[in-house]
Amino acid sequence: MLLQLTISGLSQGAIYALVALSLTVVYRSTTIVNFGHGDFVMAGAFVSYVLTVMLGVAFLPAAVLAVIAMFLLGLCFSRGLIRPIRGGPHIGYALMCIAVGYVLRGIARIVWGREVLPMPSVFDMPPVFIGNLVITGDAMFIIGTTTVLLAIFFAILALTDIGKMVQAVYQSQRGAQLIGINVDRFNDMAWGVGAAMGAMGGILIAPVSLLHPDLGASFLIKGFAAMTLGGFGSLHGAVIGALLLGVSEQYAGAYINSALIDITAYLIIVFVLLVRPHGLFGHKTVVKV
Amino acid sequence: MKQTLNVLAMTLFTALPAFAGETTGLTDDTIKIGVMAPFSGNAASYSKAEVGMMAYYDKINEEGGVHGRKLVAIQEDTACDPAKGLAGVKKLIFQDEVFMLHGNSCSGVALAIRPVVEEAGLPWMIAHAASDSISNPRAPNIFHGLPTGSANGRAMAQFVLSRPDTKRVAIIEHSNDWAHSYSDPARAYLKENGVDPVADLVMERGQTDATAQILKIREAKPDFIIASLYEAETAIFLRDLKKYGMSDIPVMGTAGTDLENTLKRVGDLDTVKNYFVIHSYIDSLGGDKLKPWGDMIKKYNPDEELSTFSFASIGSAIAVVNALEAAGPDLTRSNFIAELEKINNLDTGILSDPITFTHDDHQGVKGSAVAGFVDGQPTVLRSWGERY
Repeated sequence: MLLQLTISGLSQGAIYALVALSLTVVYRSTTIVNFGHGDFVMAGAFVSYVLTVMLGVAFLPAAVLAVIAMFLLGLCFSRGLIRPIRGGPHIGYALMCIAVGYVLRGIARIVWGREVLPMPSVFDMPPVFIGNLVITGDAMFIIGTTTVLLAIFFAILALTDIGKMVQAVYQSQRGAQLIGINVDRFNDMAWGVGAAMGAMGGILIAPVSLLHPDLGASFLIKGFAAMTLGGFGSLHGAVIGALLLGVSEQYAGAYINSALIDITAYLIIVFVLLVRPHGLFGHKTVVKV
Repeated sequence: MKQTLNVLAMTLFTALPAFAGETTGLTDDTIKIGVMAPFSGNAASYSKAEVGMMAYYDKINEEGGVHGRKLVAIQEDTACDPAKGLAGVKKLIFQDEVFMLHGNSCSGVALAIRPVVEEAGLPWMIAHAASDSISNPRAPNIFHGLPTGSANGRAMAQFVLSRPDTKRVAIIEHSNDWAHSYSDPARAYLKENGVDPVADLVMERGQTDATAQILKIREAKPDFIIASLYEAETAIFLRDLKKYGMSDIPVMGTAGTDLENTLKRVGDLDTVKNYFVIHSYIDSLGGDKLKPWGDMIKKYNPDEELSTFSFASIGSAIAVVNALEAAGPDLTRSNFIAELEKINNLDTGILSDPITFTHDDHQGVKGSAVAGFVDGQPTVLRSWGERY
C-alpha cells in the first residue's frame, strides 16, 4: 500500500509541481504572488478542450497551441494590467490577479455553465499490475511528461544566459537594468512563462479530473503550499515541495483519515510558516541597517 | 377607549393579510403561480427541473385550465443564492401577489425562504430541492412533492441490501449537508438491518484522485459501496475504481447524478456497468413510459434538451392540479391546502412512488426506484435484479 500511495502521490505532486513552479517563476521575477493563477490553470485546460474536443485537433498540437495561447495571455496580462499599476500598493497586484482570475472563471461559466466536461484520455493504456501494485497509464503519462518538462526548464536555466538573467533580476532589478536587461520586458516574459506552465498543469490534469470552471481553485492552494514548503522563490524547492505535498496527502488520507486529504495543504502552510518560515530551500531574509 | 381602539386596529392590521390572502393571485380566469428557480448563475442547469412543471401547466391550459382558470407561471430567478431567493420570494408574494409558489431547485435557497413563506401563509409545493429540513418540522402551508433526502437515502440502502449476500457496505461521501442528507438515512437503514459500514470515507469536492480512498476500500472488501458524491467526483471515483481493478464492486449513487451523464463523463460503459443511481421515475430517460412526458416538454419548449432533471417537477404539478380541481371553482388558499392534505396514494404516472399527504405529514413521496445498466441499457429497477 505504501508504494501504491507513493506512486499516486508523485503523480498528483507532479501536477502541483507545475503549478507551484509557475507561481514561483512569476514571484521570483516580480515579487508578485498571482492569486488568480488557479484560473490560468483552468483556462489552459479549457483552451485545450476547445481545440481537442470541439475542433478535433489532435492532443499534442492542441496542447502546444493551448500553451502558446496561455503564454500570450500571460504576456498581455502583464503588459496591459500589471505594468500600469506598478509602483502602487502591493495589494493592488493581488486584487488585479484575483479579479482577472474571476473574469476567466466567469467566462468559462458563461460558455459552459455548470457542466462537468469529460476530456478524452490521452494515454489510454491498461494499468500495469505488479502483485498488489497498480501503475496506471495516467500516472505514467503525468510523471513522465512532467519530468521531461522540468528537465528542459532547469536545463535552460542552468545552461543558457536566460538562467543568469533570471538570477540577476531576482537579486536586484536595478542592478539588472544597469547591465542592460530590459526588466519590464523580462517581467512580461515571466508572466507569459508562468501562465504557460500553469496551463501545462491544467492540460495534464484535465483528462484525469474532468473539466469545470472551478477546476483551478484547489490547485492554487496546492501551489501555495508547495511554494511554502519548498521555500518562497526557490525553483527546485517548489518542485520538491509539490512532490512532498502530493505524497503527504495520500499518506494522510490512507493512514490517518481520508478527510485529511483536503486539508493537508493548509496544515503544511500553517506548520511550515510557524516552524521554518523560509521553507526547506528558501533563505532567511537578512536586512542590513 | 383610545387603548381599545388601538388594540382593535392592531388586530385588524395583523388579521387583514390572512383574510385578504385567501384569494390573492386569483381572478375569474387566472391563477398566478410563482415559480422560483436558478435561471442564471453556476447552478442554472438545475432550472431544467422547473421546465416540466411549466410544460404541464401549458398542457392543462390548452385543455381549458382548472375550472376555467388558466395557470399563469410567474418566474423568479434565485441564481441558487439565498439572498437573491429571499428578494425573489418577497417580490412574488408582495408585489406580484401570487396565489401559491411551486418549484425551487436549491435546498439552501429553500431553507432561507422558508420562514418568509411560512409567515405569509401561501401554499408552497416544493418541486426539486430535496433537503428534509424544508418541510420538516411541518409547516401548514409547505409541501414536498418529490422524494426528500431521507427517502432517497433509505431507498439507496434498501436497494443495496436487496442484493443477495450483501453484508459488507462501504460509504464514501462529501463532508457537506447535501451528502449527509443521503448517507445518514442510508446508514440508519443499514443499522436497522444489522449492517455497520466496513469503511466510512470522505472524498472532498475538487479532489482529482481517489487512490487513498480506493486502497482503503480494497482493504475493507465491501460487497457494495454507497457513494454520496457530486457528478465530477463520482466520475473520478468510478474511473479510479476501474483503474485499480475494482469495478466489479457495485456502487450506489445519489439523485445528484444520473446514468446517462455519468456514462458520458467517464467515457466507457465498462466503468459504469455496476453503477446504480436513485431514479425517481417509472422509466429511464429514453424509455417508452417517459416518452409522452418528454413529448409534452418538447411541445412547449422545442429547444429543451431533455435530461432526468427535466421531469423532476411534473409529479408535484400533477398533485397541484388535482388539488386545484378538487377545491372547486370557489378556490381559496385554505381549501386548496385542505385538498392537498387529502391526496392519498396518487399515482402520477411519472414518479416511481405515489404521493400521499396528510395533515401531519407534508413529505409526500416516501421512496424511489433505482436505475442501473442492465445488458448495457439504462434500466429502472425496483430492487436488485427486479425491473420496475
